[in-house]
Amino acid sequence: MSHQRHASSLAWWALPPLLLQCIALNWSAPLTWPTWALVLCALFKLLECRRPFDRRLVALLQLLSTGLLAAQLQGLLASVLQLVAVLLALAGLLGHELAGALTFRGFLQRSLQLLAAALPLALVLFLFVPRLPPLWTTELGAARGAVSGLSPDLDPLSIAELTLVEGSAARVLLAEGQTLPMDAYWRVLVHEQFDGRRWQHRDPPVSRGGSGPPRVGEGTSQWWVVEPSATRAVPWDGSALTTSPDQWITPEGELLVGVASRQRRSFRLQSTQRVADWQQRPPVSSERQSPPDSLPRLKALARQFRPLPTGRERLEAVESWFRGQPFRYSLQPGAVADLDAFLFDQQEGFCGHYASALAALMRAADVPARVVSGYQGGHVVQPLSGNPYLELRQRDAHAWVELWLEGEGWQRVDPTLWATTTGLPAAAVVAESGQRQEENVPWWRWLQWQWWGLDLAWTSWWLSFDQASQQAWQQMLFGAQLRWLGVTAVVSGFVAVAGGWLVLHMGIRPRSSLVQSLRLLTRLGVVPLQGESFPRLCRRAARMHPDRATLLEAMADQQQLLAHAPLTPTQRRHHLRQWRKIRSRLGRRR
Amino acid sequence: MAAKELLPLLDAVSRVLLGKEHQVRLAFSCLLAGGHLLIEDRPGMGKSTLAEALARVFALAFKRVSFTSDLLPADITGLNVFNPAEASFRFQPGPLFTQVLLADEINRASPRTQSALLEAMAAGRVSVDGTSHALPKPFFVIATQNSLDQVGTSPLPEAQLDRFLMRLSLGFPDRASERALLQVGFDPSSDSFPRLGPEALQQLQHRCSSQHCSELLIDYILDLVEVSRQRQPGLSPRASQGLLAAARAWSLLDGRDHVVVDDVQAVVPAVVEHRLDAGCPARHASPHSEALLQAVPALR
Repeated sequence: MSHQRHASSLAWWALPPLLLQCIALNWSAPLTWPTWALVLCALFKLLECRRPFDRRLVALLQLLSTGLLAAQLQGLLASVLQLVAVLLALAGLLGHELAGALTFRGFLQRSLQLLAAALPLALVLFLFVPRLPPLWTTELGAARGAVSGLSPDLDPLSIAELTLVEGSAARVLLAEGQTLPMDAYWRVLVHEQFDGRRWQHRDPPVSRGGSGPPRVGEGTSQWWVVEPSATRAVPWDGSALTTSPDQWITPEGELLVGVASRQRRSFRLQSTQRVADWQQRPPVSSERQSPPDSLPRLKALARQFRPLPTGRERLEAVESWFRGQPFRYSLQPGAVADLDAFLFDQQEGFCGHYASALAALMRAADVPARVVSGYQGGHVVQPLSGNPYLELRQRDAHAWVELWLEGEGWQRVDPTLWATTTGLPAAAVVAESGQRQEENVPWWRWLQWQWWGLDLAWTSWWLSFDQASQQAWQQMLFGAQLRWLGVTAVVSGFVAVAGGWLVLHMGIRPRSSLVQSLRLLTRLGVVPLQGESFPRLCRRAARMHPDRATLLEAMADQQQLLAHAPLTPTQRRHHLRQWRKIRSRLGRRR
Repeated sequence: MAAKELLPLLDAVSRVLLGKEHQVRLAFSCLLAGGHLLIEDRPGMGKSTLAEALARVFALAFKRVSFTSDLLPADITGLNVFNPAEASFRFQPGPLFTQVLLADEINRASPRTQSALLEAMAAGRVSVDGTSHALPKPFFVIATQNSLDQVGTSPLPEAQLDRFLMRLSLGFPDRASERALLQVGFDPSSDSFPRLGPEALQQLQHRCSSQHCSELLIDYILDLVEVSRQRQPGLSPRASQGLLAAARAWSLLDGRDHVVVDDVQAVVPAVVEHRLDAGCPARHASPHSEALLQAVPALR
């Protein structure tokens, strides 16, 4: 039966988008397994469909799993896939319930109509329902995992591994009229504890505070999409303002957003030109702590610089010492025993080595110092649609030093650049730290950039309607009259439901008699056979339900008259009345 | 109501051809639609009986030509004979000049003769020596042919099969009908038939062509034709016209003033099958027309 075949294939088609999304789920998240279970249940139930009820169950399972997926995956691709899955699941259900009544396209159209009918209510909920944090952002499992990217466990000396990773770290889109910074340093983590070998990051306390209430409406927006990473800290330019309560700038100048997760994080910041608080915060004791005695040569070198009066002069002296030494840049320097060995024997390494060594040296020379890891440079992508955006990749990972200079605050120093100028393979340094020109971009890369462009646009328009934006919007709409908010929400809810009802009933009337008769027959358990005409179907139904035989035959007669006979408007109305009478009598006698 | 006038006639013919109501109805609708009928069956199944009964109930002039392999075109169309008294040629009409012509065993004749007949069927006129002579109206050919596995037959080419509106196969009667046949017997030439004149038939034919036909129904026929064209050569526009005309006649027989999908479905096997199987009657389980009907959604 061609129509039924179509109908069941519609339900099958809903599964690939669901499975695709399931594969993208975080395996350690608590919601992943229920989602998988639901999708697999739907799959097996579809394989073993015996009763009409089974089909309804399949559709229910598919819709439930789409809901679970929507809670976990919110990117553009995921949203599109969820929409497709819902569309097909609904169409499959309709195809079952109204088998034979509509064509394949008809079912899809009807399904789309149902979704369109639900849209107004969804919009009202989206605009008015408060974002309760536990509902709005699902906590998605353990933070630490095998995600690539900077993490609190990764010390700057391991950045070389990261630079070999071919993956995107973050993307930022600036508001209209902003130029993208070309050679910026994007801070992520501050490493201020030095144990003689490694610079370690100290996780900030969980409690919030410091950044004050979100300031909305000043400056221009930066839209960020950060790929899943193992740290709560995300890249930022060090001066932007937060826009929502779940963003928080630590005293060290790390920006924390939400929780670390495998979920992609999207957020909005406000650009400013002002000097950030963290830059003026005097160093704490841990940032002054002198390196341990296990580095005698480093300490001896540092002692030469101590007599210099200011931090700036000491820095210049250290820079000239660095430039005077034959330092070589290499991403594979081999095993480096400790900083003494790096500074005086091996003299070969990458940004992590240079930053660690400089920070230790400056501390030994009594200048407060710390290592900062993050990203540097990035790549400007101009998608075909929309504004250009900056893409930070894992291979843009970089480490540098921040020094507390009296009167100037915390200042960034990048010792890796000193190695560049000492006649070392410049290309290698540029490959790690500089921005690079992309030539011969592979087509999939190009496509990915286009897609990310759309994704960022989606993020900036849709996902970023967070609590702060919602409050701002409501403030703008109601001003001081916020007490009307609840009433407005309820009224809009009713209006939306009415709108949905209208949308739902828009297309039905013209094809009513046949479609509604078929629906009635389906309820009686009579499904059309291939090529069966309506009167024949009714006769067959009459044989199956002898108690309703007369009514069924009368319904066939009226429907055929309505469809094929030359009727005057009066006659048509008369037959329509007759048909409705028969339909309601048939429907009543269940 | 048309059916009221036609019902006694249907009854009468059905009494002659026991147990074959459906085929009789189809033959009636073929006549009402103004098409020609091809009956294909084994000898002795009642082909000639049906033809004669049809002619009788409408009080039409009836002639019968048994086709043989040596039959010439002039034998059926007629010829110009020289009249010595007037020293001129005079047209001597052949057996074609009648209202109902039973062309018995048409597939025994040579293709040349077959084509002469079919030309007359299509044009409603006969040309002899450059002069065309109109055939009487209504003109209805019932051709019979033996099943093709019989010796000494030349099958009708596809182009000529297309000229027949319907092809019927009578088939064996059921046991009860045959019992009645053996017990009662029948005489097709008896005068006990109810009759309707040729004028009444022409009126009915006219009414038939003005039966109302909705857009939905035209779409259905178009869908059928389109689906048939997806596979083989498919149905010709003449076939789709014929389908509609036959469905109209069927609806008239049913006593309706409009055509419904069921009417089309009832006539499809007779109208379509011989155009799709290229003259080789389907002996397999599912004929082409059945597949066609199943392939097109009929809920309209």
